[in-house]
Amino acid sequence: MTQTRRDFIKKAAALSAASYVSMNLPIDKINLARADEGVVWHRGSCRLCGVGCRVELGVKDGVPMGLRGVAESRTNFGYVCMKGTYFWKCMRHPDRLTKPLYRAKKSDAFKEISWDKALDIAADQFARAHKAGGGDAVAYYGSGQSLTEETYLFQKIMRGGLQSNNVEGNPRLCMASAAAGYLSSFGADEPIGGYADFEKAHCFFIIGSNTAEAHPVLFRRIMRRKLDNPNTVKVINIDPRISQTSRIADMHLQFMPGTDLALLNAMANVIMEEKLYDAEFVKNYATFRKGEAEQTTLEDFKAQVAKYTPEMAAKVCGGTFKADDIRTIARWFAKSKGTVSLWTMGLNQRKRGVWANNLVHNLHIITGQLVKDGADSLSLTGQPNACGGVREGGGLCHILPGHRPVENEKLRRQVEAAWGVPEGRIPAAPGLHTMAMFSAINEGKIKAIWINCTSPAQSLPNCTLYNKGMDRDDVFIVCTDIFPTLTTQKANLVLPASFHFEKTGVYGCTERRSQLTRKAIDSPGEARAEVWIVREWARRLAEKMNDPVIAQCIKPFEGLTEGYELPKAIWDEYTQKLTAGRDNDLRGATYAVLEKMADGVQWPAPTEEFALTGGTVKKFVKGRDPMATTESRNDLPYQFYGAAHPDRTLWIWLREQADPEEMPDAEYPFYLSTGRIIDHWHTMSMTGRIPELLRANPYAYVEVNPKDADRLGIKPGDMVEIKSRRGVNLLPAKVYAGPVEGMVFVYWHDQHPDRMINKVTKDGIDPGSKEPEFKICAVQVKRASDPKPLEPYIV
Amino acid sequence: MQRRTFLKLLGTGLTGLSFLPGPAGAKLLQSPVATNRLRPPGAVPEEIFAARCIRCGRCVEVCPYRSIIMLDIRAGIHAGTPLVEVEKIPCYLCMKCVEVCPTGSLERIQQQDTRMGLAVINRFHCVAWLGTILCRTCYDKCPYAEKAIRLDQLRPVIDASACTGCGICTSACPVAAGDDRKAINIEPLYARQKVSG
Repeated sequence: MTQTRRDFIKKAAALSAASYVSMNLPIDKINLARADEGVVWHRGSCRLCGVGCRVELGVKDGVPMGLRGVAESRTNFGYVCMKGTYFWKCMRHPDRLTKPLYRAKKSDAFKEISWDKALDIAADQFARAHKAGGGDAVAYYGSGQSLTEETYLFQKIMRGGLQSNNVEGNPRLCMASAAAGYLSSFGADEPIGGYADFEKAHCFFIIGSNTAEAHPVLFRRIMRRKLDNPNTVKVINIDPRISQTSRIADMHLQFMPGTDLALLNAMANVIMEEKLYDAEFVKNYATFRKGEAEQTTLEDFKAQVAKYTPEMAAKVCGGTFKADDIRTIARWFAKSKGTVSLWTMGLNQRKRGVWANNLVHNLHIITGQLVKDGADSLSLTGQPNACGGVREGGGLCHILPGHRPVENEKLRRQVEAAWGVPEGRIPAAPGLHTMAMFSAINEGKIKAIWINCTSPAQSLPNCTLYNKGMDRDDVFIVCTDIFPTLTTQKANLVLPASFHFEKTGVYGCTERRSQLTRKAIDSPGEARAEVWIVREWARRLAEKMNDPVIAQCIKPFEGLTEGYELPKAIWDEYTQKLTAGRDNDLRGATYAVLEKMADGVQWPAPTEEFALTGGTVKKFVKGRDPMATTESRNDLPYQFYGAAHPDRTLWIWLREQADPEEMPDAEYPFYLSTGRIIDHWHTMSMTGRIPELLRANPYAYVEVNPKDADRLGIKPGDMVEIKSRRGVNLLPAKVYAGPVEGMVFVYWHDQHPDRMINKVTKDGIDPGSKEPEFKICAVQVKRASDPKPLEPYIV
Repeated sequence: MQRRTFLKLLGTGLTGLSFLPGPAGAKLLQSPVATNRLRPPGAVPEEIFAARCIRCGRCVEVCPYRSIIMLDIRAGIHAGTPLVEVEKIPCYLCMKCVEVCPTGSLERIQQQDTRMGLAVINRFHCVAWLGTILCRTCYDKCPYAEKAIRLDQLRPVIDASACTGCGICTSACPVAAGDDRKAINIEPLYARQKVSG
């Protein structure tokens, strides 16, 4: 057979045709200059972490186009992080919930129903549950990401309407210990200073916080301060894991998880021993306490911390650093012209989280590193509105709006009067805290629960146990959310909610700053603002239960439009009636003022004139905090008027080192700790749907110390089994000298059942704050197999 | 058609094609190695790679992450040779492929000595360099963080002496610059080295 010319040409043509197939098609290049045409930029604050960055959302023809920072902002100076830049992509995501979904039984498939029907069903179920078990049988579980108006209205209906204090929220899982710490040490919740101290600080004491990944924009400010003053500014980082934050530290102390209370006491010891404390400040403003709140003396305190010699603490902490290192950092802390402490979950999510908080505050009180510029004891918040909505707005079972403890009858009466509900309507006893609430669901005691804007199915510790309760058919679950989550899978009724910038409301960030975000675009489909949902639901509830008091709760809000008037009326009621005279006095921060003040207002801000100056930068300082003047009792420049301390002093607590609830043993020899990664947010329902962010971290992995990896035969990328007494995960390994030897670290965002680390974590709680100890439990670590290709998993 | 005839035909076809005018001819001889299109670890210079590789596919088979793909007929004379498209699935440097290569096309080298290419940051695309967004995804994902990529005032900087060119940074980079490019790309510098003077 010979090759003809014709054959040759035919075949050549086929081959060249094939080669053309791989040709790249021209891709539309984004013309940056023209992309801005016709875009309207709407001001607001960021939807993600608790930093409270001021951002602008670009909208073109009703469609979000992008997000940018604003250079003159007081919080972020125009910088935004990667997840902040991209969160707008959630808004028009095809997965958005756009119709109410209902199923009678949890085994059924969801059916789309009308809002009318959905609200009827919700009201019906709550009325039925209330009839069966009263206020104890209903519950609300909210979020530090809800707007203040939403949390406030929900808790008003629950307490004033349904007579239930079962009002909780996910800040119990992250901020409760910090709140309890502030209350017990300073007598008032929330930090005294704010971010403005960073630019004046000379020493940063970062403990139990990976600021670089969890609060990247604040980290930039810290880094800037350090780089501009490399010799005069010291950065101390204390963490069992070398994180990205440790990179800028002058000194990093790595301790065994759970031993930091000894370390903090040892620092106090050095400060007392070397007479580095501010005797004048202590004498004027502080008293010493032990046990429940029993008064004691300076000598007692000295004797207490004397036990914690640096040598002893270094040994307790695992011997990874020298006793002299503790002396060095204690001197840096005490002697600097201004020391700012920063912490997050490393201290809060602990069996003794409140104590850990107290011990950090102790260092500030004894050294007088407080109330002056450049010095503060600053707990960083994880969520945009954990402070504003939940801690201030009454979103936890034991507090009413305006930092009012539920048990206090006088304060309860104030709230009842403000709402116009009969006296005694709000139950006197606090409701169930988060873990007790989900235990009650396990036992079937709660018959109807409304879960708003959070996913406890994934975010609770030891979540398998609590998912069982949520799967019960006699527990009716309503979920308001923007995306399907693992929790909406447990719901009977899923209500599509509006996203940030699709509704109006206030977020209050870490530094007592309240910022307004106005509605900029319409919600997709039939999604509605939560405030509208609650009002409509409450009206039906009032009819079905034939209870005029419930109708009274929403009476001031009837007939108002959901986009602006309704949240404004709610905000006005909350601030004008319920924050008056309280330490978070927000009367000056009206919508009109917040619209003028691009960076929001820091409370206390009792008058509009004062709010228009930006509010209180430093609490408790006469001349800077209007309440320090009005509440003044003597001639001293600082007035600690916090309601929790009737003696108006700062309390220095005598606290011992305490072990975590679960320690490694022969069977479970490793510590497990969990945390965040820069590109993801909580349960990933938002960031997991943004391809740019998911690509960077498609799935969780476990960080193993190289020495441990060597011993266990784990190579990078190998699949590793992490098993505790509660659950098991199978994750790829990252061999990395981050976690201290004997500890492994896993990011908690992944939704995949094999990589959801909260199946493994422990649900032990702090007896004071009731916050679970996510950060420490004991696990087995075992190599399971060679590397495997994994796929990201989003519900 | 006999095997012999077929091979003859194929040979003639390919030779003939390379003389065809226009891109079709050049494409069939052109190396597939380009920005973000790399040979697996330990590959000999591109000049001799196609000649040395016997297209056995063992590297493709052994790759646990499916990073290595086998080129098909559209790659012309490079059909059957391995390639890593790093912005899709990067090389995680498990070094399994170099162990199984029977021809030495992939030389047996250590993980840290791998030079698949060099990461290059486009400072006009990188948001950290543009100074508006705090991104350090490449730094976080780099298997040799602090060595191959370090941060200079929160902006990533590459050190050529440690960068393996694995492309994990490219795959993770959240900035898409079009044409399969990111703000950080791997340039196959070493593949272009000449073997013969």
